[in-house]
Amino acid sequence: MAEIVLDSVTKRYAGDTLAVSDLDLDIRDGEFMVFVGPSGCGKTTALRMIAGLEAITEGEIRIGDRIVNDVAPKDRDIAMVFQNYALYPHMTVYDNMAFGLKLAKTDKSEMDKRVKEAAGILGLEEFLNRKPRALSGGQRQRVAMGRAIVRNPQAFLMDEPLSNLDAKLRVQMRAEIARIQDDLSVTTVYVTHDQVEAMTMGDRVAVIRKGELQQVGSPTNLFGQPKNLFVAGFIGSPSMNIVASRLEQANGSIKVNIGGQQVTLDDQATSRRPDLKSYAGKEVIVGIRPQDLEDASLASDAPQHCRLRAKVDLVEALGTETQIHFAVDAPAVVTEDIKELAADVGADQLQRLQERAEEGRNEFVAQLDPKSRVKNGEQVELVVDTSQMHFFDPKTSLGIYGDGK
Amino acid sequence: MAATAAEVRTNVGTKTKVKVKPPPGGARKWVAVAFLIPALVLLGAIVIYPTVDTIVQSFQNDDRTATVGLQNYETVVKRDSTLAAIKNNAIWVLTAPAIITGLGLIFAILTERVRYSTAIKIIVFMPMAISFLATGVIWRVMYDDSTELGFINAGIRGATNMVGAGAGPYPTAEALPDAPLQKAEGGAVVTKDAFEAGDVAHLGLVGLTEADLPEEAVQAAEPQAGQGLGVVVWRDFTPGGGEPGVVDQGELGMPGATVEVLNADGQVVTSTTTGADGSAVIEDLEGGGPFKTRLAASNFDQGFTGIEWLGSALVTPAIIGAFSWMWAGFAVVVIGAGLAALPRDVLEAARVDGANEWQTFRHVTLPLLAPVLGVVFVTLIINVLKLFDIVFVMAPGSVQDEANVIALDMYKTSFTAFRYGLGSAIAVLLFLLVIPVMIMNIRRFRREG
Repeated sequence: MAEIVLDSVTKRYAGDTLAVSDLDLDIRDGEFMVFVGPSGCGKTTALRMIAGLEAITEGEIRIGDRIVNDVAPKDRDIAMVFQNYALYPHMTVYDNMAFGLKLAKTDKSEMDKRVKEAAGILGLEEFLNRKPRALSGGQRQRVAMGRAIVRNPQAFLMDEPLSNLDAKLRVQMRAEIARIQDDLSVTTVYVTHDQVEAMTMGDRVAVIRKGELQQVGSPTNLFGQPKNLFVAGFIGSPSMNIVASRLEQANGSIKVNIGGQQVTLDDQATSRRPDLKSYAGKEVIVGIRPQDLEDASLASDAPQHCRLRAKVDLVEALGTETQIHFAVDAPAVVTEDIKELAADVGADQLQRLQERAEEGRNEFVAQLDPKSRVKNGEQVELVVDTSQMHFFDPKTSLGIYGDGK
Repeated sequence: MAATAAEVRTNVGTKTKVKVKPPPGGARKWVAVAFLIPALVLLGAIVIYPTVDTIVQSFQNDDRTATVGLQNYETVVKRDSTLAAIKNNAIWVLTAPAIITGLGLIFAILTERVRYSTAIKIIVFMPMAISFLATGVIWRVMYDDSTELGFINAGIRGATNMVGAGAGPYPTAEALPDAPLQKAEGGAVVTKDAFEAGDVAHLGLVGLTEADLPEEAVQAAEPQAGQGLGVVVWRDFTPGGGEPGVVDQGELGMPGATVEVLNADGQVVTSTTTGADGSAVIEDLEGGGPFKTRLAASNFDQGFTGIEWLGSALVTPAIIGAFSWMWAGFAVVVIGAGLAALPRDVLEAARVDGANEWQTFRHVTLPLLAPVLGVVFVTLIINVLKLFDIVFVMAPGSVQDEANVIALDMYKTSFTAFRYGLGSAIAVLLFLLVIPVMIMNIRRFRREG
């Protein structure tokens, strides 16, 4: 068990492509740290640098108190779980898990004890004599984890271990991994592009984009106080609704213009964002999470100045909630951050975003209580939780907070 | 090269028929048959009929006039040449595939991560592009006995020369028949007479031309013996004249010759080396006379004269060497493809688990390569069992019996000795030997594919 420190770590490939740029991160002993970000953002490269499978171009990595820049992977006392499991196909499950110990010339009875122990934790006892090709995906994933656990390393490094599993299994394994890590208290660095995994498993989450760290903090912290538009749009599903707006100051309170409608911010909203006052009369980017919109008929005692009216385009009744899509009369915001977020979802998503921007349209998603009775094509009135609205500087994309936030 | 191991198929002689399911309608069936007939005819005429006929012929006598049952087979297993051939094939099967697969593995791994590995593989593979016949001819010359013609022998000779085990200064020289010199043990030449201090020993030699003498050689001269013993070693030959045993004008001395002085008991007292005029004076003579002088055997050292590679003892290993040179390229390329196909993250997992290069190779790489190595190995076994051209071309007539292999034996029996019945029996024998390997190979392809 040890802390891992990344100190200005940079990875440059031939041709000056920067995969990781000046990464500073302190991972505490026993912490479950998640690296999350869109494909190709450098999170796997960063993980592999910690493992020693990639050379570090600049900066230092320390595991425990040791600088491990030039230390071979096998001497770093880390264990890695690969995306495709990387099990030894010609060895049984037992041999797969015992391999590392065998190489370290561990005493046979000790080796046997540790393998059986790990197999017990992961429920693999009956599979010990099988070969990987006779196992299902989930079982293989557990063997990969078992192989890491038996080595009793200072840190676990996991590279998207759940991405090859089906959805239900993924949910189940997520909880198992989190539980095991909690029991063993081993420092863990976990890479994923799925922000739901990041939010549910991590003690802290580091959002990485194009090799640069965007924000690191607890899931609540990232969700509630995103530092910039990228983090705001990446974290949270369905993603935050973004619209450009001109702030107006009248009678001591700030009014936000959303597609022709006005919402007033009360003191609670503005007190958390002192800097917002300096944007009065200027354009800002406004973000409203779908969860912060509610059917007015279910929240009838909400004040009038924070309501929006819209025509429902689409209703998705999920049972636990009802999601509605509605048009907002303002063009979609297209910044570099937002384009990258859309592209990460898929090429057609990016195209749709650009179409909407050209046509001057924007589409919002609201997550309503399942008791809501809205129907497709109807007019609906929504209550906005103004204390949870987010604001971003249109030029820098940074969140507007004040008070050093 | 993106060839996968499963795509390397040897000519196993089976034909895969592609059956196209006919659409409803009986006439289509005849169309299918019509398309198959040409191939079936060809196959029948070239493969099936000769095979059956050969089997039949193996039970007949040599002019096909009578059936003799198993007599040919009895003869086959008792014949010296066939037994030698079977023994040789056994040697081949036990050594060549292992050597070639091993070499292929080593080279494939060495060149795996090197730059220009493709270029290296092309070069190593090129011998496969040469026909067996041409290979046989090339290596026949390489293995030649003499150190002038044979590349290998010349190379060894050069190496021995470099480390000082080479030839002496005058390997061809010898004494005149009626000179007062006689051959001693080890090739040395000793004076018949004995000398005392003040005498001059004449050691005249022939058997060498002026060109054989070193550059510094000058007119031979009589040494002034004085208190010591004088010796002169010179080329005692004047064309059409001159007196043997006497230093004539025009006869050059032989410098650098080692002369030993022997006392009465035959022990070496001292030795000296002759100067440019072939003379030397030995001053410190211990003990009394009489002394004999001796030209040391090292003067006449032949040095390395060449190994007889294609002689009866070494011919089979020599041909195996040539065969390996040819097929190593095949092994390197196929194993290289197998190496490239290894899942990289499994190797990384081994690295993280703590394996060094050798451990990774032994525990991960090698087991994962086993199918590819199997393909190479079995292909080679089949080729070695069928071996003919390279032995036919490389083994000189005199040693063909020692180098004999089954296919060669069959050829000689049927087409040189015209004993068709016997030859057919040998052919059937070879066929039976190859069948188990073929079956194993087909089964493996079926399992993998």
